[in-house]
Amino acid sequence: MDLRSGFSGLPARIRLDSSRFALGFVLLILLYQVAIPLLMVIWTSLKVARPGEPGFFDFSFSVANYVRAFGSGDFWHASWNTLCFALASTALAFGLGTFLAWVVHRTNTPLAPLIGVITLGRIIIPGILITVSWILLASPSIGVLNHLLEAITGAKRTFNVYSFWGMVWVHSLEITPLAYLLLSAALQSMDPRLEEASLVAGAGQWSTFRRVSLPLILPAVGAAVMLLMIYTIETFEVPLLLGGRAGVRVYTTEIYFNTARTPTDWGLSGAYSIAILMLCAGFLAAYFRLVRHGERYQTITGKDFRPRRIDLGAWRYLTCALGLLLVFLITGLPFLVMVYASLLRRYQPPSLEILHSMSLENYYEIIRDPAYSSGPLWNSTLVGLGSATAVMLLVSAMSYFVHKTRLRARKLIDFLGFAPIAMPSVVLGAAFLWFYLLFPLPVLGTLTIIALAYVTRYMSVALRFVSTSMLQIHTELEEAAAVAGGGWWKNFRAIYLPLLRPGLMAGWFWVMVHAYRELTIALMLARSSNRTAAVVIYDLWENGSFPQLSAFGVLIFALLIVLVLVGQSVGKRFGVREQV
Amino acid sequence: MNKISARLLIASGLLVIAAVGRLHAAAAPTPESLFAELAKLSPEQRQKRVEEGARKEGRLNFIHTFRGKLARDHVRLFEKRYAFVKVEMADMGSQDAAERLIAEETAGRHLTDAISLAVPDLPVILKQNLLAKYPTPATRRVPKQFQGFLDKENRWVPWYWSEHGISYNTNLIPPEKAPKSWEDLCKPAYKGQISFDPPETRFMVGLYVMMGEEKFQRWVKCIGENQPIIQRGHTQRMNLMLSGDHAIQGDNFLYVGAQEKKKDPKTPYAIVYSAPILAYAGVVVINKNAQHPHAAALFADWTLSEESQKYVADEFRGPLIGTHPYLPDDVKLVTFGNVSDEIVDRLHKYWNQHIGRGK
Repeated sequence: MDLRSGFSGLPARIRLDSSRFALGFVLLILLYQVAIPLLMVIWTSLKVARPGEPGFFDFSFSVANYVRAFGSGDFWHASWNTLCFALASTALAFGLGTFLAWVVHRTNTPLAPLIGVITLGRIIIPGILITVSWILLASPSIGVLNHLLEAITGAKRTFNVYSFWGMVWVHSLEITPLAYLLLSAALQSMDPRLEEASLVAGAGQWSTFRRVSLPLILPAVGAAVMLLMIYTIETFEVPLLLGGRAGVRVYTTEIYFNTARTPTDWGLSGAYSIAILMLCAGFLAAYFRLVRHGERYQTITGKDFRPRRIDLGAWRYLTCALGLLLVFLITGLPFLVMVYASLLRRYQPPSLEILHSMSLENYYEIIRDPAYSSGPLWNSTLVGLGSATAVMLLVSAMSYFVHKTRLRARKLIDFLGFAPIAMPSVVLGAAFLWFYLLFPLPVLGTLTIIALAYVTRYMSVALRFVSTSMLQIHTELEEAAAVAGGGWWKNFRAIYLPLLRPGLMAGWFWVMVHAYRELTIALMLARSSNRTAAVVIYDLWENGSFPQLSAFGVLIFALLIVLVLVGQSVGKRFGVREQV
Repeated sequence: MNKISARLLIASGLLVIAAVGRLHAAAAPTPESLFAELAKLSPEQRQKRVEEGARKEGRLNFIHTFRGKLARDHVRLFEKRYAFVKVEMADMGSQDAAERLIAEETAGRHLTDAISLAVPDLPVILKQNLLAKYPTPATRRVPKQFQGFLDKENRWVPWYWSEHGISYNTNLIPPEKAPKSWEDLCKPAYKGQISFDPPETRFMVGLYVMMGEEKFQRWVKCIGENQPIIQRGHTQRMNLMLSGDHAIQGDNFLYVGAQEKKKDPKTPYAIVYSAPILAYAGVVVINKNAQHPHAAALFADWTLSEESQKYVADEFRGPLIGTHPYLPDDVKLVTFGNVSDEIVDRLHKYWNQHIGRGK
């Protein structure tokens, strides 16, 4: 076995055992789950013929789709809007997320766990509901906040959610939990001795944070900024529901309008996907450059490691108040609107008359037909648990090979793991549908096909969660274990998985919740027996009214809170115990 | 030697099986030939044959374009009537249903027997020649005013109709000041108060059929100058209007507001009956390669039954047979179906030029 091929620092014996098997397995899965759909997208983007039409499988290619995609002035105008939207949203969400993660995990702020839980609760609420909630809160005509402000101050139409900054606000709150989760994982895995040394040397809290803490979590910062940017570029609900009235056309709405006619223009969709992929590759290259000296961020070593919290003194009450205010805006306010709406027959601004007419009828309507609600909820639970667990195990191994070995293929692994983020859900769903139609494995119409698609869909974000934690683990731990005679798999299981716990839990939670929320893929692959909760949300959205949809949202929220609490208690058994 | 003999024997066996399979396939009638045969029978004999065949098939793979509970309850009625057919149903949007059928058939997987979809979404399937011709006596029940929904080549069975029309919030606009026609929507009094979905082929085709191309172009231009609200989501726009967010729906289904009004008579909702209502059919089509053609035929016929039509009316959709749940009999209807791709392209071009996708 060639020592130069990778796994430097480890005895040669280890390289021949289960690590090779794991590497082969990871590559095989990446080939199957990512490379094939990606190839289908690239192929489609270079073809004028649609899948199934004569000439589609010929080896003649055309750039006509790319010319169509990027040849219009509208597209470039939308791209400029997208850039402004992405920069503003990322800056705001990153600031809020970092502050909350620091308050919750590194300070002695009162009620910190509550602030953390409520922040995460935001992820559970479907994006459609949140966006509509903010319309009901800050619409110039019917917004509750505007009505309240008018009653108190006489000022009319103060807030306008249908504006560029309205979009930035709503979307920032949507992605703040992502920044929070990524930063939380890094902050939890940070050795506080360096900070203590800084404080002993006379540096203040702020100086220590800026000069010691922040540089140590640079990979997480890089990952968070990159993901927030990409998520904003990809986001659809806010631009669709608010952008039209705000007069702000962004990349995704352009794609949607250019491809929404029947039959779907797969070639054009493919061209757009490749453009996003190139953009993501650029982001990934920048990220790699940022973390090229991986050893600088290794704070978890063989020495005793216990995360500690900073004593803020009296300032802790201010951080508590700010934290509570933020989570109220991020989760509390839209959730309250959702609960309020769920008790109404038809949405109306609050009044005494309305309070008298409130009822639980919407909940009754949903629950009285168990096949309608409980079946899809159960399906979502299975798909969520299965795909979240599979994704986290897979990306743990991928992250190991990317960051702890010198394999030539490590950048390819990272790129393949990250590439799915560039494939819009509709394109990914179509790729899976076509693949399993052409290769008749018995998964059509089952939950398996949805779970497989989710593994691909959420691999990219999950990989970043785990990578930030992986970069913090010093290789000396594995080297010591290897010297002591442990095999690769045993060491990976006994050393890396427990130390990766913060990243694993954060990623697991993210995938689990999004498996409930994800709609496009679920709709494209749905048949009679594999409907998920998101499909019900869409049904209610299309058919019924916002109140009934809100009631279903509240039920999902309650169910996911239970699942997440169970997941957390299981995860804590295997992770690093914190010293508070 | 023995090994060679064994291999030859196996190979011969496989050939025989393949040949028998091919013969069997050749002997089995295609759905179209079956339907042509059925058409020669009297209605009673025909019904008997269809039911017998469906009983043997025992299953129907169907894509419904009603959504969720609405679709399931409709299919349940069918399953109650014909308990020997188990319906495997998926429900999705009309365009998605068309895409699904095309994808499956292109891949050579005949997974879907029949789908329900809107006529304006048919051209893509028709172009691919995926539909079986299905002449059925059930369509004789379609009244004269909706005969335009029928296909001369019997490629679809219409069973309900959808409507686009003008409606408004009565709290924001009193009836005397409400618009009376599509042209009225251009009046400055309604500036910034009328909502539309982003460019929608069905709606534009309806207007084109009603107005003609030149008038449509002029209308789109003046609507564009009146600062329309462009927002995605029919139901959501209707709910926002009823909540007082804006005054008028320039393009929306009318049933959402009518249903709300039925639940709560205080709902501030009114329909502009003086402006023609644009109507298009929802139809059942049968896959040319359906694996359960009898069950598909049974379902297509059943959609026009009294039972199914009553369900349509109860759910505030437009039944082809019987009384409409909320529209008066003398309502002005403009019915429409398909137009060519070139026309659709031009309509989109006009819309994008003058109205766009946002303000």
